[in-house]
Amino acid sequence: MNLADVKKLADLARIDMSEKEMEEVAKDFDPILAYVSQVQEVSDGQDLSVKNSEDHFLHNVIREDEVTNERGEYTEKVLANAPDTQDGFLKVKQIL
Amino acid sequence: MKIDLKNLTIEKAHESLTKGDFTVTELVTAYLDVIKEKNKEINAYLEVYGDVLIQAKHAEEIFQNGTATLMTGIPIALKDNMLFEGHIASASSKILENYKATYDSGIVKQLKNEGVVFLGRTNMDEFAMGSSTETSAYGNTKNPLDITRVPGGSSGGPVAAVAMDGALVALGSDTGGSIRQPAAFCGLVGLKPTYGAVSRFGIISMGSSLDQVGPFGKTVRDAEILFNAINAFDKNDSTSIKMEDRIKPSPLKKKIGVPRSFLSTDGTDRDILKNFEESCKKLEEAGYEIVDVSLPLIKYSLAVYYIICPAEVSSNLARYDGIKYGLSSEEQKLYDVYTKSRGKGFGKEVRRRVLLGTFILSHGYFDAYYNKAVKVKEEIKKELTKAFEEVDAIITPTSPFMPFKFGEKLNNPISMYLSDLFTVPANIAGIPAISIPSGKNEEGLPFGLHIMAPFLREDILFTIGKDFERLI
Repeated sequence: MNLADVKKLADLARIDMSEKEMEEVAKDFDPILAYVSQVQEVSDGQDLSVKNSEDHFLHNVIREDEVTNERGEYTEKVLANAPDTQDGFLKVKQIL
Repeated sequence: MKIDLKNLTIEKAHESLTKGDFTVTELVTAYLDVIKEKNKEINAYLEVYGDVLIQAKHAEEIFQNGTATLMTGIPIALKDNMLFEGHIASASSKILENYKATYDSGIVKQLKNEGVVFLGRTNMDEFAMGSSTETSAYGNTKNPLDITRVPGGSSGGPVAAVAMDGALVALGSDTGGSIRQPAAFCGLVGLKPTYGAVSRFGIISMGSSLDQVGPFGKTVRDAEILFNAINAFDKNDSTSIKMEDRIKPSPLKKKIGVPRSFLSTDGTDRDILKNFEESCKKLEEAGYEIVDVSLPLIKYSLAVYYIICPAEVSSNLARYDGIKYGLSSEEQKLYDVYTKSRGKGFGKEVRRRVLLGTFILSHGYFDAYYNKAVKVKEEIKKELTKAFEEVDAIITPTSPFMPFKFGEKLNNPISMYLSDLFTVPANIAGIPAISIPSGKNEEGLPFGLHIMAPFLREDILFTIGKDFERLI
């Protein structure tokens, strides 16, 4: 992993970092990636869609997309945490 | 009257509250006094809630109505990643410094119904990323048993709150060992329940496929009572297990497995192994047969964890953008608002893990790391499930090393990550596991015994735990 790789990751992750820190990260990643690469030693060959039978109780719960609250019921509460708002909307900076 | 907090348990407190030896307000005040005296040094609590005495009054009304349960009026500490409406929950991060919860988490809602008193929110590694509570944006928490050492992590605040007698019990969250390792470091009992047993709704997410909330207590019975109070289905958590799907307790085989070859890998402290052998002997005295179990794959659990967890972290933390809530950097362009807010708001370890997850999920590496790790996770789960056909439980030490000094492991990520060596397989397999104090070394630092049980069989952990506790 080199500095250019880390710069690309920081950009993808939208995190502003100093060049010095990115160099440190590049250095830290090599031993971490070497460690986690151990998983390659395990032979598998199973189909990912096959789940353990014990997992029968773990499944995605899909519900009807229905409105469960009054319009605007939580607006004030939720917007109270927002840095910038206007007329009940979140306000963002210029995009382009 | 002076309340003996050191030896207080939930049942003793309940009895005294029922008989009128002391009131909820008196009990809560006793804890607030300890917090006032000790928190400055220990830094377990980031905030004592302003409405604690109002909560206490409410609990007293429940006692007067005659509808009190064991948990009514019990003063507990929350971890800083649990939402309690109207109160700050910051995950010990700068990015959520002023975030006020807009709703109650599932666990808070359930406990509120029973009239539990939430004393305050306690310190943690930032977004639960760490094993020493040193990555918190709000300073270190000290181990109340030895203030030169870490309390463990990531639930260092909740564990220290109980260990300093600043709360009767506490709630933590555990993604790779974050309840059990601090419990071992501070001489307490800590339980990570089955994945899906306790609601994750309103818990600030770290690794969603691994996170689980659980209790800290001085005794196995206290952990059991608090677990029972939060062990419920929640429709707001899509991974919550319905009550009718939960496995009913069945008689024990009285057989416990030890994965010998796993214990001898990766440099576990010799004192810890010695203490572990003594624990095995005690369990034999208690009537359990100790047998070897071969688990060749569990040594890969930590590698699997450090692929799956950062991947989920990078996705979960994408929501902190400086727009909806939390820290927002004043910039001209939207892109800069994102990058500067996240750059300033996240600490070093969080930034490192988000980048690691971004790498793992990136094109060209996704199959080699993430997909492979998910497959190995399933294999580990199968291996453990098969082992439980022969034994009730599997035991190891909780931590491969004793509570360490501040700064000792902070700059060596792999060394810090090894803290979770013995605890992480339970998260990977989704099974319940508990850490129970198993004695102290010459310096007075505590050892922990780690017990894992099959899916939804927390009852086995409590049974073995109580048998073991009697012999310590």
